[in-house]
Amino acid sequence: MDATGRLFRRRRVYDEAGSEALFLRAMEENVRRHYAGCPEYRSILDAAGFSPESLRSREDLTRLPFLTTLYLKRHTLLSVPERKLLVRAESSGTGGTRSRIGFDLRSLWLGLLMVIRVGRQRKLWSLRPANYVIFGYPPGKTGASKTAYGFTFFAPALRRTYALERTVDGGYALSWDKVIRELRRCSRSPFPLRTMGFPAYTYFLLRELKARGIRCPMPRGSLVALGGGWKQFYAEKVDKADFYALVKDVLDIDESRIVEFFGAVEHPVLYADCPCHRFHVPVYSRVILRSPEDFSPVPDGQPGLVDLLTPMMQSAPLSSVMTDDLGILHREPCPCGAESPWLEILGRVGISDIVTCAAGAEEFLRGEKEAEG
Amino acid sequence: MILYRGELMEDSRQEELLAALETDLYAPLRRGERLEAETVIRAFDSLARRVLAGEFDDVVRPLLEAFGIGDVQFREMARNFCREGLERKCALELCDPPLLLEGNVLRERRPLGVLLHIAAGNVDALPAYSVAEGLLAGNVNILKLPMGDSGLSVRLLRELVLTEPRLGEYLYVFDVPSLETETLRRLAKLADGVVVWGGDAAAAAARQLAEVDTKLILWGHKLSFAYAEPDAEDAALSALARSVCQTEQLLCSSCQGIFVDTADPDVQRAFAERFFPLFRAASREAGPPDFGMRAKNAVSLYTERLEGRTGLYSGDGVTLRLLEGEDLELSWLYRDLWIRRLPLERLYDLRRYKGHLQTAAVLAPDPEKRREIRRILGDAGVCRITGPGNMSRSVCGEAHDGLYPLREYTRITETELTAGEAEAWKRKHGGFPNG
Repeated sequence: MDATGRLFRRRRVYDEAGSEALFLRAMEENVRRHYAGCPEYRSILDAAGFSPESLRSREDLTRLPFLTTLYLKRHTLLSVPERKLLVRAESSGTGGTRSRIGFDLRSLWLGLLMVIRVGRQRKLWSLRPANYVIFGYPPGKTGASKTAYGFTFFAPALRRTYALERTVDGGYALSWDKVIRELRRCSRSPFPLRTMGFPAYTYFLLRELKARGIRCPMPRGSLVALGGGWKQFYAEKVDKADFYALVKDVLDIDESRIVEFFGAVEHPVLYADCPCHRFHVPVYSRVILRSPEDFSPVPDGQPGLVDLLTPMMQSAPLSSVMTDDLGILHREPCPCGAESPWLEILGRVGISDIVTCAAGAEEFLRGEKEAEG
Repeated sequence: MILYRGELMEDSRQEELLAALETDLYAPLRRGERLEAETVIRAFDSLARRVLAGEFDDVVRPLLEAFGIGDVQFREMARNFCREGLERKCALELCDPPLLLEGNVLRERRPLGVLLHIAAGNVDALPAYSVAEGLLAGNVNILKLPMGDSGLSVRLLRELVLTEPRLGEYLYVFDVPSLETETLRRLAKLADGVVVWGGDAAAAAARQLAEVDTKLILWGHKLSFAYAEPDAEDAALSALARSVCQTEQLLCSSCQGIFVDTADPDVQRAFAERFFPLFRAASREAGPPDFGMRAKNAVSLYTERLEGRTGLYSGDGVTLRLLEGEDLELSWLYRDLWIRRLPLERLYDLRRYKGHLQTAAVLAPDPEKRREIRRILGDAGVCRITGPGNMSRSVCGEAHDGLYPLREYTRITETELTAGEAEAWKRKHGGFPNG
């Protein structure tokens, strides 16, 4: 078995030190594979004078040229023939354009091994059937909707209810009444409830329920899962403690049963937060925080651009991808006991919600007329 | 918060207030009351002085900081609300006193009536300024706040009413999200004019909103640029770089890129290589730009490099890009400029950006050439032509995007008088025999 296969079979999900050598070998395999299979990637590495064989140490990982999510939005790269792609996922397109990433059988298999282990670590697997309420879209093209759907397999699903429904004109509408009816029903059910959704949507829904004086205490074992970040709702980002208090108040679910995921279509490694709600870096992944000045790595504890590395993807050269996020990598010990560092996401680069007058003119000239505000 | 007839109200009362609006809105106009410009000027002048004295620093300062507005620029903005600025504005824009045409037709300027201002989420005190102009022209004003308004506009306008209670009946502020089209349509139906600040998307939306019987006044988004001769002086280039770093290119009048008068790529490159160190120096002098914006530009530039593009420069928080083509486009903002070739004989072609041109800085040491460039720019549709360092300086009494707003917010009535009435009018106001 190759190093990648062994890495994804490791039992200890947060054993960074113990997996270091294996991770490097897996990365070398991965980069070598994409170098051979993807001409665009090969020319990028060639232009940077980087040869896959030279990947030997942690420093070499920082030298490895990274792609950017912006680049992946503009170019769909493949390292395998297109017919080998079994699943395709799109980013949710917060900024307008989307990345399209294809998964071949092996990438999916590695992903499944990873999900089994991360889920076990966070005690998500259960044989007890559950009612699912998704504060988001029914399964579709986006990675987010696929993740949400995938989430409904951690425990057998009795029922899946989606807060957003497709409307006749092809858009989506929030069906309030359905959600409230379903939450009321779940509250009387002997089976636990599991919700999944964007933090912002979950927050808005719960806040609205509270404002309407609706409380639906859920059965023991219920779970609230969050994923996808706050996206355009950064301004609304609430204090986590307030959020947990709201969940407790409206649904009577304890903080320990609130789990948040982090991941991206361009880096499809599943990060689940620990009981202290921190995103420890799993063995399948490494994170390099880089300075905006020259992309040199910044010391732990300092803010930088988040560069995510993984050997998971076989079908596309996502070995090292620079996201649009700013973050901090923390190495101070975490009370949860996980040894690996944890990644704090500070927010997206740029301030997209500033409406400038010059930017508005540009919108027209480019023909991008989207409804404003 | 909502401001209704100058009174602060809870958001929760929005529906009830909207229902009452139809009756209340026209009350002062129905009574035949005239809002004197002097009343408005006195109130704004006193408020602006208090703002300048720091009385509202708790809300003003964080806003200035968030948008990187410097002290000088802030003082200029505030000065626009002071007596001198407003009086000058009225004198220039409402300079036609009533007169008699052909002996007995009385021509007067009247307010449009009710103005609905749809403000953009913009960097400066635009919402309040738009209302000030509406008031100067004598109108009742409904202001729809931009998303993410900091609360400054409501607070300032409330203070204005406390300063001059007579203005209360002329002021309404609603915090209506743009998505509630129905509500906006109701407001637009009540208004005689809809004033829209915002991009083309906002303008297009407003066209849907206002019915044919309602006047639309669109203050659109604009683009500004510099036009430089290859032999532009270093001092001029530095001044341009400084103004870019100071405004972070967020204003309509901020420079987005430089057209160089050449067809030769080598000249373009030499120009960039001379400009780049001056740009970096200006950035160092201005202090580091916002970390997140800098990160965004760094990633964008890296992506361009991945795509194999050349002629890219970065350092000290600035990015500079040599581009092909003669397009006028937005930069990445926050200290990013493009440099394109545009020979003088094709400068006039910029007129294809009609309606979107605003300020152009001219960097040409030769006076003859400079005059020529200015003439072409003006003919092509540019509204403001400046030197390199003053693109975003506001001049007291200047027009807005080539128009006088107060004229847009008023209309002219002509009334036929009887011979006796005309004689009496002449005796009182002095005659205008040829008027």
